[in-house]
Amino acid sequence: MPAETCIMGLFKDDGKAAKVILDLPAAGFSFRRAHSPIPSHRILEALKLRKGRVGWFTLTGGIIGFFAGFALAIFTSVQWNLIVSGKPIVSLIPFFIVGFEFTILFSVFGNVIGLLVCSRLPDYGGLESYDPRCSGEHFGVLAACEAGREGELMDFFQKKGGEVKVFA
Amino acid sequence: MNTTMPPVQPGRNAAPQRSLFTLGAVLAAAGLAAFLAGLLGPHPQRAWQAFLINFLLWSAMAQGAVLFSAVTHTVKARWTGPLSGLAGAFAGFFPVSLACFLILLIGKNHLFPWLHEDLHGKEIWLNIPFLFTRDGIGFLILYGTGWAYLSQDLKLKFGTSAAGGGLRRMLAGRIPQSDTDIQRVQRRKNLWGGLYCFAFALVLSLIGFDLVMSMDPHWVSTLFGAYHFVKAFYVGLGALIILAAIVHLRRGRSAGIAAAHFHDVGKLFFAFCLLWADFFYVQLTVIWYGNIPEETSYVILRTVTPPWDALAWVVFIVCFIIPFVVLINRRIKTMPGAMIALCSIVILGIWLEHLLLLGPALNHAAAELPLGVTDGLVFVGFLGLMVLALAYTLKTFPEFLPPGGEAPR
Amino acid sequence: MTDLTYAQIDETVLNTLERPRPRYWVFVALMLCGVLLGAGAWAYQIFVGIGVGGQDIPVAWGTYLINFVFWVGIAHSGTLISAILHLFRAGWRNPIARAAETMTVFAVCCAGLFPFIHLGRAWQVYFMLPLPNQRLLWPNFLSPLMFDVVAISTYLTVSSLFWYTGLVPDLAVVRDRSTGLRHKIFRVLSLGWSGAHHQWLNYSRGYLFFAALATPLVISVHSVVSWDFALGVVPGWHTTIFAPYFVAGAIHSGLAMVLTLMIPLRRIFRYEAIITLNVLENVAKTMILTGLIVGLAYGTEYFIAWYSHNAVEWESFRWRAMGEYAYGLYFMILCNVLIPSLFLLKAVRRSVPWLFAISLAVNFGMWWERFVIIVGGVAHDFAPHAWGLYAPSLVEYCIMVGSFSLFFFLFLLFCKHMPSVSMTEMKETAHHAG
Repeated sequence: MPAETCIMGLFKDDGKAAKVILDLPAAGFSFRRAHSPIPSHRILEALKLRKGRVGWFTLTGGIIGFFAGFALAIFTSVQWNLIVSGKPIVSLIPFFIVGFEFTILFSVFGNVIGLLVCSRLPDYGGLESYDPRCSGEHFGVLAACEAGREGELMDFFQKKGGEVKVFA
Repeated sequence: MNTTMPPVQPGRNAAPQRSLFTLGAVLAAAGLAAFLAGLLGPHPQRAWQAFLINFLLWSAMAQGAVLFSAVTHTVKARWTGPLSGLAGAFAGFFPVSLACFLILLIGKNHLFPWLHEDLHGKEIWLNIPFLFTRDGIGFLILYGTGWAYLSQDLKLKFGTSAAGGGLRRMLAGRIPQSDTDIQRVQRRKNLWGGLYCFAFALVLSLIGFDLVMSMDPHWVSTLFGAYHFVKAFYVGLGALIILAAIVHLRRGRSAGIAAAHFHDVGKLFFAFCLLWADFFYVQLTVIWYGNIPEETSYVILRTVTPPWDALAWVVFIVCFIIPFVVLINRRIKTMPGAMIALCSIVILGIWLEHLLLLGPALNHAAAELPLGVTDGLVFVGFLGLMVLALAYTLKTFPEFLPPGGEAPR
Repeated sequence: MTDLTYAQIDETVLNTLERPRPRYWVFVALMLCGVLLGAGAWAYQIFVGIGVGGQDIPVAWGTYLINFVFWVGIAHSGTLISAILHLFRAGWRNPIARAAETMTVFAVCCAGLFPFIHLGRAWQVYFMLPLPNQRLLWPNFLSPLMFDVVAISTYLTVSSLFWYTGLVPDLAVVRDRSTGLRHKIFRVLSLGWSGAHHQWLNYSRGYLFFAALATPLVISVHSVVSWDFALGVVPGWHTTIFAPYFVAGAIHSGLAMVLTLMIPLRRIFRYEAIITLNVLENVAKTMILTGLIVGLAYGTEYFIAWYSHNAVEWESFRWRAMGEYAYGLYFMILCNVLIPSLFLLKAVRRSVPWLFAISLAVNFGMWWERFVIIVGGVAHDFAPHAWGLYAPSLVEYCIMVGSFSLFFFLFLLFCKHMPSVSMTEMKETAHHAG
C-alpha cells in the first residue's frame, strides 16, 4: 500500500484552481504541481513563486557572445595582417557588426539552455501524473494525501467545482 | 466603441503657480541678455550659432512631444493614460519656435556659410528667400496640423460649458453637444493626428537638410533628414518624461501617472535611444567604409580632429552609453527623480550633438571648442522660454493636465 | 478580444490537421515539381559553371541577389509580428503569429540558399567558415559579405529556435489529442511539456527574452544585407539611407506576403473566427506606414541625388527614370507606394479580395524595387563605356521558380502537419473557458 496517493483536481476556471491551491494546506493536503493550458497569473500568484532564473543564462550568453564576436573578427584579421582597402587591420566600426550579431546569437543560446534547465525540460517522466485535459480547457491541481484519505481529497476537489482523477 | 467622453475636470489647484512664470521669465531674460551681449560683442556669429542650436533643439523637443500624442492616438495605443494629454501641452512652444525661426532671418549673414561660397548651381535651392519660404511654410503646416489635432482633442475634453477667457473660447470653438458632433470631432482628430505625423516626417527631414546639413553645402548624407526627426522624437520623449515626472512629484498619486506609465514611456525612450544610435552608426559606417573624400571630410573633422574629437566622444557617451546602461535596469524607469536626471543629461547631450554637427561648419579652423558662458546662458534662456510656454499652456488649458481633484502638496 | 472558448479554439485548429483531401496532395506535388526544376537548374549550373546565368560585366549581381534580398525581407515581418508586436502587447497579432514566424523560418531558408547558388563553385563554400586553409587564410570579417554570413546564420538560428520554442505548448496539445504514430512523434517533439507551473514560469520569461532579442535582429540583419550594396561606392548603392530604407521595405513586402498567405489559409481552414477581418485590417494599416516610409525614401534619394550636384549620381538616377529599365521604377512606385495607399480607405482595408490583390501587387513591386536597385546600380555606374544591360537566363528563371516553390512547399507541409495557429496564444486572448 503506497504511503501517499496523488489526485488531480481539474477546473475549467483558473480562479477556482488558484483558490484550491490556497486552501489545500489548511485542509491537510500537500500541493504537488499545477498544470494549465496557458500561463495563469492567478495560479502563479497563489503559488508565490519568484521570477524565473532564465535571464541569468541569457545575460551570460550575451557577454560571451559579445567578446567572442570581436575576438573572432580581430583574430582572423590579425592573422593576415595586411591592409585591405585602406582599412586598419583592427577596425572597430565594422567589427562591431560581428560582435553585435554574436551577442544576440549567444544570448539566444543562453536563453534556450536556461529555458531547458530551469523548466527541467525535456521531462517525459513528468507525464506519468498528468491529465491530457490540462492542455485543453482545464486547469489541473495535483495534490497528495496520505493513504486512506483519498475520499476526503476527492470530496475537497469536487466541492470546489472540479473533476477528479486519481493517480496510483 | 464608446463615443461619449466624459468631460475632464482638472483640479482647481492643479494649474501652474505664479512662481513658475517668474522662474521662466528670469531664465528667458538671462538668455536674452547673454544673446544681446554676444551680438554686440566682437563675435556676433557665436551668438547666432547658440541661437540656432537652441532653436533647433527646443523646437525638436516640442515637435517630438506632440508627436507622441499624435502617434499613440493614431495607432490606438491604450497604455499612455495621462501622458498623451501632457504631451499636447508642448504645443505651447510652437508659436515661440515660429518666432525664433523668423528671427534667424536677421542673423542670416552670420549663420549660413553658403552665402559666401560658390555653390556651383546649388544656389537655386540654397538661397535665403527660397529657404525661408519653404521652411516657413513647412513650420506653418506642421504647427497648423499639430494645433488642429490638439484643438479637436481639447474639444472632446472640455466640459459642456467653455468656461474661460477669450483665447480658450476662440481656440476651442464650438463644444460638441450631441453624439454625432462628438463622432465628427473624433474623426477630425484622427485625420489631423495622422496628418501631423506625416508632416512631422517631411518637415523635420526638410529642416534637417536645410538648417543643419546645408551648413556644409558640399556634403550629403541621404539619411540626414530622417536622422533629424528621429533625434527630435528622442528628445521629445525625454522632455515629456521630465514634465510627467515633475507633475507626478508635485501632485503625487492624484496625478494619475502610475509606475506602469513611467515604465512604458521609459522603455519607449530606451528604444529611441537605440534608434538614434542606430541612425548615427548607419551613416558613420557607410561613410567610413566607402572612404570617399567628399563624404569623409565631414566625418573626419568631427570625430578625429581636435578640438571636435573630444566632443564627439562626450556626445556618444552621454547620448548613448549612459542611457543604455542606466535604462537596462527595470526599476530606474519608474523612479521619476532618476528619470528627470537621466533625460536632462540626454537633452544636454543632444545640445552638444547639435554643436558637434554645426560648430565645425560655422567656425572654420577652430582651435578650441566654441563653447562658453554665452552658449550656456542662451540654452538657459530657451529653457526659460519653454517653461513659460508650458506654464502658460497648462494654465490656459488645464485639460492637458491629468485629471485630479486634490490640491497639490 | 474574442468570444471563442478554449474548446472551440482547440477544435478549429486541430481539425486542420485531419487527413488532407487529394487536392492538397496535388498542390504539394506541383510545388515539389517546382522545387525539382530549381534543383535541376542549380545542378546544371554547378556542372557547367556560373556563366549559365545572365550575370556578366558590368551587372555581376542579378536575380540571385534580388531573390536573396527578397526572401530575407519577407522573413523580417514575420519576426516583427511574432516578436516586436509581442513586446508592444498588441493582442491582434496572436492569431497570425505562428504562421508569420513559420513564414520567417522558411523564407530565411530560401534566402540562405541564394548566396550558395550565386557562389557558382558551391563546393568552396567552406571558405567562409572561420577555419584556416592550407595557407592559413582566414575569412576577412571586414567584408560585408562576411557580415552577411554572420547575420543570416544568426537570424536563421534564432528564428528557428524562437519558432520551435513557441510551438512546444501547442505540440503538447496535439500530443494529447492524437493517437498512434502521430501521438508518439508529438510526444517526442513536445519535450514532455505538461504545462506545469514551473514550466510556465520560466517559459513566459524565456519567450519574452526571445522576443526582445529577435527585435534588434529585424533591424540589424536587413541593415547588414543593405550594406552589401551601400558599403561599395557604386552610385545608387552608396547612400546612407539604405539601412532603414531596406528594413522598412522588408517589412512592407513581408506584410504583403503575410496577407497573401493568411487569406487563402483562413478560407481553406475555416479560421474566419480566429483570423478575423480586424487582424487583416491591422496588417493593412501597418502597410500604410511602411508604404509611406518607402515612398519617403524614394523621394529623398531623388532629392539628394539632385542636391549633391554629383554628375555621376544624378546620371544614375536620371537613367533609372528614363533608361532601359525605367518600367521597373514605375512598377516600384505604383505597386509599393500608390496602390497600398488605397488602404487609407476603410472599405478597401476590410475587403478580402482587395487585401489579397494589393498584397500581390506589393510583392510584385518589392521584387522590382530590388531589381531597380541591384541591377540598375551596376548597369549604369561611373564609366559610360562600361555601361551594360542584364537579362536573367532560363537557368535563373528556373531557380527562381524553384525558390518560390520551395517556400510554398514547406509552408503547405507545415500547415497540414503542425498547428498553424497558436492555440495557446489564442486561449490567452479568449475571455473564458468552457
